[in-house]
Amino acid sequence: MEAAVSNGRLEVSCGNKIPKSTPCPRPVPGEASGGCSFDGAQITLIPIADAAHLVHGPIACLGNSWESRGSLSSGPELSAYGFTTDLGEQDIIFGGEQKLHESIRYIVSRFAPPAVFVYTTCVTALTGEDIEGVCKAESERLGTPIIPVNSPGFVGSKNLGTRLAGDVLFQQVIGTTEPEQTTSHDVNLIGEYNIAGEMWHIERLMQQTGMSILSRITGDGRFREVGWAHRAKVNMVVCSRALLGLAVQMERKYSIPYFEGSFYGARETSYSLRQMAYLTGDRDVERRVDKLAAREEMRLSLELEPYRKQLKGKRAVLYTGGVKSWSVITALQELGIKVVGVGTNKSTAEDVSRIAARIGDDAEYIPEGGARQILKTVRSRKADMVIAGGRNMYMALKEQVPFVDINQERHKAYAGYDGLLSLAKQLVHTLQHPVWGLAAKLAPWEEETEFAD
Amino acid sequence: MSERLNIVDHNQLFRQEKYVRQREGKRAFEAPCSPEEVTSTLEYTKTTEYKDKNFARTAVVVNPAKACQPLGAVMAALGFEKTLPFIHGSQGCTAYFRSHLARHFKEPVPAVSTSMTEDAAVFGGMRNLIDGIENCIALYQPQMIAVCTTCMAEVIGDDLSAFLANARQEGALPEDMPVPFANTPSFSGSHITGYDAMLRSVLETLYNKSGRTPQPGHELKLNVLLGFEGYTGNFAEMRRILELFGVPYTILGDHSSNFDSGATGEYSYYYGGTPLEDVPKAADAAGTLAIQQHSLRKTLGYIKRTWGQQLSSISTPLGIRATDRLLEEISRLSGIEIPEALKQERARILDAMMDSHTYLHGKRVAMAGDPDMLIGLIGFCLELGMEPVHIVCSNGDRKFEKEAELLLKSSPYGTEATVHCGQDLWHMRSLLFEDPVDLAIGSSHLKFAAKEANIPLLRVGFPIFDRHHLHRYPIIGYQGALNLLTQFVNTILDVMEEQAPDHSFDLVR
Ligand code: SF4
Repeated sequence: MEAAVSNGRLEVSCGNKIPKSTPCPRPVPGEASGGCSFDGAQITLIPIADAAHLVHGPIACLGNSWESRGSLSSGPELSAYGFTTDLGEQDIIFGGEQKLHESIRYIVSRFAPPAVFVYTTCVTALTGEDIEGVCKAESERLGTPIIPVNSPGFVGSKNLGTRLAGDVLFQQVIGTTEPEQTTSHDVNLIGEYNIAGEMWHIERLMQQTGMSILSRITGDGRFREVGWAHRAKVNMVVCSRALLGLAVQMERKYSIPYFEGSFYGARETSYSLRQMAYLTGDRDVERRVDKLAAREEMRLSLELEPYRKQLKGKRAVLYTGGVKSWSVITALQELGIKVVGVGTNKSTAEDVSRIAARIGDDAEYIPEGGARQILKTVRSRKADMVIAGGRNMYMALKEQVPFVDINQERHKAYAGYDGLLSLAKQLVHTLQHPVWGLAAKLAPWEEETEFAD
Repeated sequence: MSERLNIVDHNQLFRQEKYVRQREGKRAFEAPCSPEEVTSTLEYTKTTEYKDKNFARTAVVVNPAKACQPLGAVMAALGFEKTLPFIHGSQGCTAYFRSHLARHFKEPVPAVSTSMTEDAAVFGGMRNLIDGIENCIALYQPQMIAVCTTCMAEVIGDDLSAFLANARQEGALPEDMPVPFANTPSFSGSHITGYDAMLRSVLETLYNKSGRTPQPGHELKLNVLLGFEGYTGNFAEMRRILELFGVPYTILGDHSSNFDSGATGEYSYYYGGTPLEDVPKAADAAGTLAIQQHSLRKTLGYIKRTWGQQLSSISTPLGIRATDRLLEEISRLSGIEIPEALKQERARILDAMMDSHTYLHGKRVAMAGDPDMLIGLIGFCLELGMEPVHIVCSNGDRKFEKEAELLLKSSPYGTEATVHCGQDLWHMRSLLFEDPVDLAIGSSHLKFAAKEANIPLLRVGFPIFDRHHLHRYPIIGYQGALNLLTQFVNTILDVMEEQAPDHSFDLVR
């Protein structure tokens, strides 16, 4: 990756501006669209597992979305509960603030969470509910932090919501608690959501080299640990450009250096670990990382051998949001797969240039636009499979195209060295499944007609 | 082969000791209270005292069991040929509707949004609507666009009919393209109200456009309405029954092919649905039969007032008596006798019920779901000698409550039941602990409470995210009764087997 050291300080080629300066692209009316800012904020904060998450609005926003995340928690499950004020017509007319007061009090008295996040939605933003006022009053009254998240759906895309959630953490959570102890090898992971337990893999690797995670922001996170994130030595922004702003702000305020990295693929994993170790400034740790990386890569390459043979030269279309569109490419390339089409949905100019650095002009760049676009690329580039998120799965299957799910709902962890092995196995299994052969063959009566012709 | 095919998923992987130990390290700072305190608090939440506090709660909803109006409107729109659901509001809700329906049916779901943003919120969403219509026609070539609103558009008070008129004037919307629309704010009603509002609007729009006057009874046909229907199999079963009768029919709002299409090698946005030209003709039918009532109130009102034909509405025909009722109604409306084949089927299902009755008899059940479905389920449970105990209906009203209570009173097995309208699944959890039951029936969302209370869950209703293909099997009619019966009794047998001591691990049950 393009990190470089100048004047003894790390510079990351893509991220020295707070990304607010490049606005997220506007959604186009009349197209199939992705999630809203509320969704983005919710997805970012919900992995803080011991907090309560209360959605202030009508049933729409929560009723269709609760309990559908794939972030795992190793302990508390409170964030899996769906809390909403479920505003009705009367509340819209006369105001829902009282209901919000009561809801917060009920949640705090019955569930005793360390904090409550309160989300604005389109309706409560429009009717001008004083959510910040209510949260402030209740925080004081109850002695529990009640944190307003002002990210109603209409302000923009999911990415923007993620960014706004980062601001909320920076302004209202980080710096509010102190860790019991710190070491000189403490790292924060930012934007790693512990999908299918991926973070636990990474954590194990880090532990083996003597590094530890101080705050998980936010996969398998706890409210208190996010609060002491300012005491870390290094910030790693994992595959989430939208949270880059948080890292930049933390660097300014707390002088914590940061870098962007990914754990998809052995190369990226080794790179990320090395970068972390380098930034902690401890040569011993660096040496241990080198050893670990060498050992793991060696082991992995042996274990991957049989799968690589089968995957070599296979052509894939990758359609996933933003940063993942380039970070997964490396992993696929290590397996010998050729990426012939890649989604640029939610990607920034930097993302696109990174994609280009990896695959050049060989592949087709698929802009937003959903189903048709992806399928067109699959056909024109003769792809063997589609790797994308759940919403695009069913239409790929209609076209009898092998599909591997890479987004939030999957149950298999693909990060780290072991993750790459799982991914390789998954890809081989998917491609080899007998159903594709069955579907590709004509039905017997169709064959006969051909014969008769 | 099998070793090679074993990719451990997170269930198995993280049970390995190294990961377990790693996670334990985390406990140190997450909750400042002791494990004993956690256990005792958990126990407290299972007490009657806690239940009373829980039921005194009014402000917050914990674990809702309903979705919002536009979700239902999308389903209604997909019941018609080449129809694109078009949602006026900001984009997030639309993404939710698509994934919600996709997760239940395991099918792609076309639906677009006007993607309103901040300036639309201030100046109104007319520009978004007009541009959106232009774009979606270019991209998706629909034959009809079914527009519904979200709560956001409702709050700023966007006037759909004026906007659509402007769109036509500007030429963005072709003169002859039908555009039914419905106001579906999510701050009132639920997905079933939204379904109703959109279906009604589609019927009215297409009918008015045809410029006809109704001639009820002119055609010896039946109109059939299934309502907010999560089972594609129910459409097939309904068709089979009508075909056995030999009654010509039109299903008004048939989304079954859109939610159950083949993997042909080519993806299309539209897979069937009721042909648009069938709607105006439906006004001439001999009668209309609806197998949901609570989710079709406005639509049925419209048909009665405007088309003036014979009308019959029953709750979801689950079980024997409700199916009898269905057949009688078809027979009454069409004037055709109940076919012999169905009579034989009835006897066969009764036989199956007798075979299984000892295992189900006396089992106490809790259930949550939509009103029409619950009425059907209560009826079937009573026939099976099961005792409904807790009935939670988030989107039920007084009318439903009365109907349910009347039905429960009709059988000695129903005397213990209480009906809870407007309550959520956290209320249900309290009920399950305070007065435990043997079985829970409901959507996937109920699985958390059921698991905690250690009660097997029979997945019936909408949404079912975590089991495959259930929606392809009918649950209505005699055949549907058999399917439910099979699921019910075998779940109970599974549980018995799991818990069986060595001396009763029987071969024959
Ligand atoms: S767009 Fe607005 S109303 Fe819709 S889900 Fe997002 S926040 Fe809720």
